[in-house]
Amino acid sequence: MKTGVCVFLAAFVSLGASWCGFVLAPVLQLGGAKQTVILQTTDNWPLQRTGDATLGLQVYRANGCAACHTEQVRQTGMANEVTLTGLGIRKPEDFSAFAKSLFVLPELASYTNAIAASLNGWNGALPKTLFITGDNDLASAMADRLKAAGVKSETRLVATGADIARGWGLRQSVAADYLYDQPVQLGSLRAGPDLANIGVRVPDANLQMNHLYAPKSVAPNSTMPSFKFLFEVRQKINGAASPDALNLPKEFAAADGFEIVPKPEAKQLAAYLLSLKANVPLYEAPFTPAK
Amino acid sequence: MSDENKSCSVPSTGEPVAMQSTTPMWIIVTTLILLFIGGVYFDRHSGWFDVKVYSPYSSAENLEAYQPKSSEGAFIARGKKTYEAVCGTCHGPDGLGKPDQAPPLAGSEWVTSKGINRLIHIPLVGIAGPISVAGKDWNMNMAAMGAALPDEDLAAVLSYIRSSWGNKASSIESDDIKKVRATIGVGAQPVTVEALMKLPE
Amino acid sequence: MNPTENKSCCTNAIDASLRVPLLALFGGAAVWLVVGLVLGLIAGIKFHAPEFLAGCPLLTYGHVAPAANDAVLYGFCIPAALGVILWIFARLSQNPLALPLVPVVAAHLWHLGVFIGTAGILLGGSTGHTWLEYPRAAAVILFTAFLLIAVSAAATFGWRREQTLYPSHWFLFAALLWFPWIYSTANLFLNSNQAPRGVVQPIIAWWFANNLVFIWLALVGVGIAFYFLPKIAGRPLASYGQALFGFLALIFFGTWCGIPQGAPVPAWLPTVSSVAAGLTLLPLLAILIVTVKTTCCANVSCKGGSFCFIKFGMMSFLVSGILYVAAACPQYSRILEFTWFGAAQTQLQLLGFAAMILFGAIYYLLPLVMDKPLPLPKFAKLHFWLAIAGVLLFIVPLAIAGVEQGGKLADANVAFADANAVALKFLRISTTGQLLILLGAVLFAVNIFIMTIQWKLGIAKTVIAYIKSPLETSEVKS
Repeated sequence: MKTGVCVFLAAFVSLGASWCGFVLAPVLQLGGAKQTVILQTTDNWPLQRTGDATLGLQVYRANGCAACHTEQVRQTGMANEVTLTGLGIRKPEDFSAFAKSLFVLPELASYTNAIAASLNGWNGALPKTLFITGDNDLASAMADRLKAAGVKSETRLVATGADIARGWGLRQSVAADYLYDQPVQLGSLRAGPDLANIGVRVPDANLQMNHLYAPKSVAPNSTMPSFKFLFEVRQKINGAASPDALNLPKEFAAADGFEIVPKPEAKQLAAYLLSLKANVPLYEAPFTPAK
Repeated sequence: MSDENKSCSVPSTGEPVAMQSTTPMWIIVTTLILLFIGGVYFDRHSGWFDVKVYSPYSSAENLEAYQPKSSEGAFIARGKKTYEAVCGTCHGPDGLGKPDQAPPLAGSEWVTSKGINRLIHIPLVGIAGPISVAGKDWNMNMAAMGAALPDEDLAAVLSYIRSSWGNKASSIESDDIKKVRATIGVGAQPVTVEALMKLPE
Repeated sequence: MNPTENKSCCTNAIDASLRVPLLALFGGAAVWLVVGLVLGLIAGIKFHAPEFLAGCPLLTYGHVAPAANDAVLYGFCIPAALGVILWIFARLSQNPLALPLVPVVAAHLWHLGVFIGTAGILLGGSTGHTWLEYPRAAAVILFTAFLLIAVSAAATFGWRREQTLYPSHWFLFAALLWFPWIYSTANLFLNSNQAPRGVVQPIIAWWFANNLVFIWLALVGVGIAFYFLPKIAGRPLASYGQALFGFLALIFFGTWCGIPQGAPVPAWLPTVSSVAAGLTLLPLLAILIVTVKTTCCANVSCKGGSFCFIKFGMMSFLVSGILYVAAACPQYSRILEFTWFGAAQTQLQLLGFAAMILFGAIYYLLPLVMDKPLPLPKFAKLHFWLAIAGVLLFIVPLAIAGVEQGGKLADANVAFADANAVALKFLRISTTGQLLILLGAVLFAVNIFIMTIQWKLGIAKTVIAYIKSPLETSEVKS
């Protein structure tokens, strides 16, 4: 029985430790989070959602959209993108040979071929991405060389990874992004594309609503079911379409004399989708924004 | 052994019993080895509970290394620091100057001039004799306070004074300092205003 | 099918004391299992035919999929496990069930809670957190019902006649303690008006999901298996020390798993989780050794009996555990996260491990409790083969689909629709597996249903006999 008490105590401590570590500690560390500031600006992030978008999150939750969609961008690393912005006195034709002669430094020498390859078949159009490297020192050494040679270049910090390459966001998602989500709908399966940046990718509310009503009208390969019950098919009043009516391609449109009008839920959901953005740099997820 | 035999005999109740034994040593040793490996992994990847560190960044230093560098703000901040160390004693932290010590920099036409050649000359070689600043006449000497500063720092200081206390002039790059410095011979004496006005703008 | 056990007068009394509560728990559980699997099948079909039942707002994929998972876990696994725990506690204590009315009330309360919860999800009242979808009303009912049953189990233990503790005691006690702990924590934080802001919510939800689906089911499943395997094999559990290590290491390391690698949370959380997942291999190994050593030399013919159900369940546990650890490994996690692989692992844990062990245990103990052989033993045998074939057909393609889909998603040159299409091919086979599992579950439910009817008829007969008998005696007297 003595062993029994010891085992019970050990088990109790183990379970309590897990509770302290994964419930208490995150609540203390992140529970009091406030707005943060967009990198190199004084603008706050994230902004409070509009009323419609806040209600839209509830439509998203109630319909279980998170069963198929995630709302989080992942990133595998960082890279410095060295881009030519001006050639000075150099000519595009001989820049390749010139570039080779530039990178005689031992730490750059092994990249000369890569740079030469990227310049192969280049017609001189600027800006031209010269080289992408994860190594900060390498990038700044290269920028110094180019500057010394009178060539103008720009080094941009970009996030890397398949999600970023698919255009699902410019950087990974961080805790700050979800500050005003109630509940936070991260999702765990990508049967549909990620939505963390959908407000930037598809910024058109009408297109969003077309997609909700008839997914194949926007994406022919879509496996998303139609959410027709968020819309109303009704007779046109005096034959005139209402301003809200969806403008669908012929094969998806309602019969003559009828129109498809979004219910408030559809409008709210569209407003919520438009509010999803992952395109600003933060301290914990830096990158160089486009000018 | 006899204990084990005893416990092996199924009791009359038909309920199962466990063979008495202690936890084998090898599994405890393996646990300790794995714990050590896990600790090393944690040390390399966790950022030690830093709230700002997200994978793939491995630590606060690693994240700091990727913060945008040499931005306008950082450059000006560097200039401010140098100003307070080198110039602020006489010209004042507010750039208003001090009576009988140094003329103001705030609102000074010498500081905010469009051409920068003459402005750069002043800290590089010093200035002597009467000078009119913002409608007031001064007569004193300034040593070549900036001659010993690196180009980068001097550019930062001049950019700072040109953009502070209401001054709104373009910033100066270290290359500009380099060019002016090249035109000045070794052991140059402080210039007078007449000599300064003869230089290109 | 029926175990030959020397039933003393004492065990008879113990078993009889559990008759009513176990029928209430298992009967509802069997119904929810069938309901959950039907909903799961609908969800599966929706993936091949997105427009299937799309017009019905109640049955969208986002409603059906969580309702199906919750019905299997909350509707079947938990009440069935509680029933088996009550029986094991009574048997190990050599004591009839304490407070026998409490679990009867709790069982009905529990099934009411699951009903409210399922209806809530289908009507759009889901909380939006995985495994916690049930709305507040249902959560309160479930929590109360669980506590009532745990009290009854603890009282049975407290008044025990047999003093020796057995390894199953640790596992099952920890399970009885841990569920109310995690369920109340998760609901108080996530299902209240004062929910913490932002990403703390998914952190708590991940912690809860890991501790419910991985740890709680493991505690229950392994605890039950460690009771039945030696009992059926007629050999002692081999051995105490390894079982103790397996238990302590499982809750010491395993409770820290569950935060995915790519999660938008500070790096220390996923790092701790992946280290913990790696260390969880050790308890898995210890539990495997105990299982193999206990069963290897046992001369028990299988043929679809309880022993096979439980052995297959333990194999599934090991595979599911290894998949879980593999998915937490940073290199693989980046590929497997957000794919069907996670669903495959979860379903293996639910249907391949927990459900199989519970089937085995129920098929073993129900005839003892009812003091009657299974009405349709052939159905039980057929259930075993259908369940095995179903689980393999369901899980294996799903896991492969996840790996393929993950590989394609990690390559930005592959269009998203193509990555999705790759998975759909495998999902067709999975749906067949789901159908087989459902058929097996129906056979299981039929057996329990007939047993319940027989029992009720028996009671009716007794009652009628009783009503008649006083008349007879009075006649005699007069």
